[in-house]
Amino acid sequence: MTVPLLELRNVTKYYGNILALRDITTSVNAGEVTCVLGDNGAGKSTFIKIIAGAHQPSEGQLLIDGEEVLFDSPRDALNLGIATVYQDLAVVPLMSVWRNFFLGSEPTKSIGPFRRIDKATASRVAKEELAKMGIDIRDVEQSVGTLSGGERQSVAIARAVYFGAKVLILDEPTSALGVKQSGVVLKYIIEARKRGLGVIFITHNPNHAFPVGDRFLILNRGRSMGDYRKGEVNRDELIRLMAGGAELEALTKELESAAKKDAALAAMAEEFAEEVGQLEERAEH
Amino acid sequence: MTAVATKDQSDSDPSVDERLVYRGPIQRLLTRPDIGTLVGAVGLFLFFWAVSDVFGIAAGTANYLDVSAGLGIMAVVVSLLMIGGEFDLSAGAMTGATAMLVVLLSKPQGEFGGAGLSLHIAVPLSLLFALGIGYFNATVVERTGLPSFIVTLGSFFTLIGAKLGFAKLFTDKVIVEGLDVAAGYEFWNAFFGATWIRNEHLFASRDLTFAVLLITGSVLTLVGLLELSFTPRRPTRPAGLGVLVVGAAAAAFGLRQLVDTDTVAANWTYGLVVGAGVLVGMAGLGAWKYQPATAVSARGGPNLGRVAMGLVAVAAGCLAAVRLDASSTKVLGFLLTVQGLRAILFVGLVAVGLGMLFGAARRGGSSFFRFVVSMIISAVLVGVAFLVKGESQAVRFRSTAFAVLLLVALVNAGTAWLRLKHLPRNQAEPVADRLGRVLSIGGLLSMFAAVAVRLLFMTQAEVDATRAVITYRISILFFLGSAVVASWILANTKFGSWTFAVGGNKLAARAVGVPAARTKRTLFMTVSGAAWLVGMLLAFRLNSVQANVGDGNEFLYIIAAVVGGNLLTGGYGSAAGGAIGALLMAMSFQGIPFSRWNSDWRFLFLGVILLLAVLANRYVRSKAEETR
Repeated sequence: MTVPLLELRNVTKYYGNILALRDITTSVNAGEVTCVLGDNGAGKSTFIKIIAGAHQPSEGQLLIDGEEVLFDSPRDALNLGIATVYQDLAVVPLMSVWRNFFLGSEPTKSIGPFRRIDKATASRVAKEELAKMGIDIRDVEQSVGTLSGGERQSVAIARAVYFGAKVLILDEPTSALGVKQSGVVLKYIIEARKRGLGVIFITHNPNHAFPVGDRFLILNRGRSMGDYRKGEVNRDELIRLMAGGAELEALTKELESAAKKDAALAAMAEEFAEEVGQLEERAEH
Repeated sequence: MTAVATKDQSDSDPSVDERLVYRGPIQRLLTRPDIGTLVGAVGLFLFFWAVSDVFGIAAGTANYLDVSAGLGIMAVVVSLLMIGGEFDLSAGAMTGATAMLVVLLSKPQGEFGGAGLSLHIAVPLSLLFALGIGYFNATVVERTGLPSFIVTLGSFFTLIGAKLGFAKLFTDKVIVEGLDVAAGYEFWNAFFGATWIRNEHLFASRDLTFAVLLITGSVLTLVGLLELSFTPRRPTRPAGLGVLVVGAAAAAFGLRQLVDTDTVAANWTYGLVVGAGVLVGMAGLGAWKYQPATAVSARGGPNLGRVAMGLVAVAAGCLAAVRLDASSTKVLGFLLTVQGLRAILFVGLVAVGLGMLFGAARRGGSSFFRFVVSMIISAVLVGVAFLVKGESQAVRFRSTAFAVLLLVALVNAGTAWLRLKHLPRNQAEPVADRLGRVLSIGGLLSMFAAVAVRLLFMTQAEVDATRAVITYRISILFFLGSAVVASWILANTKFGSWTFAVGGNKLAARAVGVPAARTKRTLFMTVSGAAWLVGMLLAFRLNSVQANVGDGNEFLYIIAAVVGGNLLTGGYGSAAGGAIGALLMAMSFQGIPFSRWNSDWRFLFLGVILLLAVLANRYVRSKAEETR
């Protein structure tokens, strides 16, 4: 049994007298996608903030590579290879793609007062790295604001991968996107997993989670409704668990209609996952 | 000239994406945030150059540069801060506060005296004071999350009150004075009070140097722009080089003779030699270096209507110039003389007409049709030039405007020929791009040097003829320096990138590890440091400082920054834009009295300029986004 990249043991978080998260235990392995599913108010945001270092758990432990850690700031988490891509604040729209890609870690050349960004290297590497992730940007000089929503998320993901993230936390990356765009983002999640990253994929859409996840943590009202491996649970059970029994019928209907809409997408993503799996097997042989 | 890159080109060069429409360096330059302001500033300069007698000469230049310097140093750093997403309303009051502080600190002790410190202590101390205010502003904004607009408004009133209160408390007056008696005055005056007196700097061959630099610069810029606009030919054709050399030699010979001779017949002869030399040289350059044109299909029908309308407008303008009485100062209705109406009608109609013709020459119809339209433009320009020479009263129109119009006509004809015969650039060419860029930037610098030489030096004849003393202050150097340094930092350094990032999306910037608080603090302290510099320039210039100096200027800085294309909400803009905005404002402030108009109108003028600039910026940016 390998040591998981990141592990939560009995993590609980209070805000004053509000119990936001209760007794959560889960783990993320290298090359695996752990999906965290939950409806609004289930505790997903608190969960992210604890892993990303923005909040400290009130009780319980956070382990990285088997060692207990305590984050004081998001910077600490980043230094340990935990990169978070937030849904709405992934990029600076008015800046060019390459400037966004290297923002905060710009390569420089020359010294002293003449130290400046190595623009040629930066734009070349950005183009190459994006291409490696299968993201085909027309011109890295164009501003990110001109990209589509899915492409922006993808740029943020590629950036995290390039800068040596071990664990990638994606906060609702598909929630604001159309079917096709969501498919693009799911493709990059699989791509990141293939590169050996541990991915935490937070979503309220089981149809997006199911095809790419290796592990599913279901949150409801701050509690874990179960932590399943792929194969231990099917899509309908996920939906039921997410709803937590309450207003089950209405929710199921709603999700069913969503599922119809997403059927094409799910099929696409599943197909892609299989393809990648076959490729991996072939590569291993 | 844009063209879609074709499939086989992208095959040969993997860095070219076939989905991209090629945008050359010239098009990309046009999408800069400050380009609208630059065009506006050039337009305003030409306007005041035309309507006033002193604006275009050294006296006027020294005047409006002096006004723009204090404004411009601050506009540059306020632009930086604005790109970083913040305001500093205390910037204006701070210039006065540091100036006052240094006087109070260095004033001898005694009743109604100061602290009696040496300037070696007082000057650095006032810098620390300014940086401290910047630090304070930044920290409060950062810690509380309040808008900087409110926080610095508080600092603004505090400084205003403190200036007046302390001035009255210590000196019992609203003015503090006597900097020049402080210890160390000589030393610091060399930094902040230095001047360049034009009348004391003689340069016998100034006009020759000016002409050589100007001509070299124009030629380099022209060749550089052509290099950026046409597809290079590989291999080159040496025969073309021969033609180029012959043309250039003819032009140089003609120019030389024009300078040496002074009869009408000789002027005509050698003027034509120069013209022919330039045209032959340009054609030779094309034949030598650029790919011949392939058959280009017409894009849309020929714009015959536009050509006709353009010609009618030009003719109407010229008719107005000929028929209306140039010397009449009879007032027509409100504010307008016959003279003024004539100028407005002539310039306005001719400009509109030429604009239409240029539009028709750019698109629509076959390449031969567009060539013909370009030739018509050149003919119109020549005609207008001779009309100006014949009809105008002022020497600057009869000589300078006449020569410039003829040269524009010449270059327009030459490029029209090149566009007809050669293939425009439709893909990036690293070597040609670099060469073109170096040549055009070098050419612009050479022209800049030419103007500088002319402004800075005098000939003995001029000194004998005039009693006016023209003085340039060191603040102009600081202004230039701050614009150049700030632009470089913004474009090339991490800090520049971070400034855009914290202004564009602070949370995203912070999430990827940009030290947002530190970046903003540095920006606030840069503004207060610059306010200190402007305060020192003021104090050493005037020796005395009034309590209300600088109050209210913060809005001028912000206006200059906005006129310069900086986004009020942050994340987009340019430092050079702020500098050009300040220049534009100073020109309009000083140009009005120079034109002998009532300067009561200047704020009306400023308001209109602000609105026009913002509209122009918006338009330019939407155009820029379209081509992306």
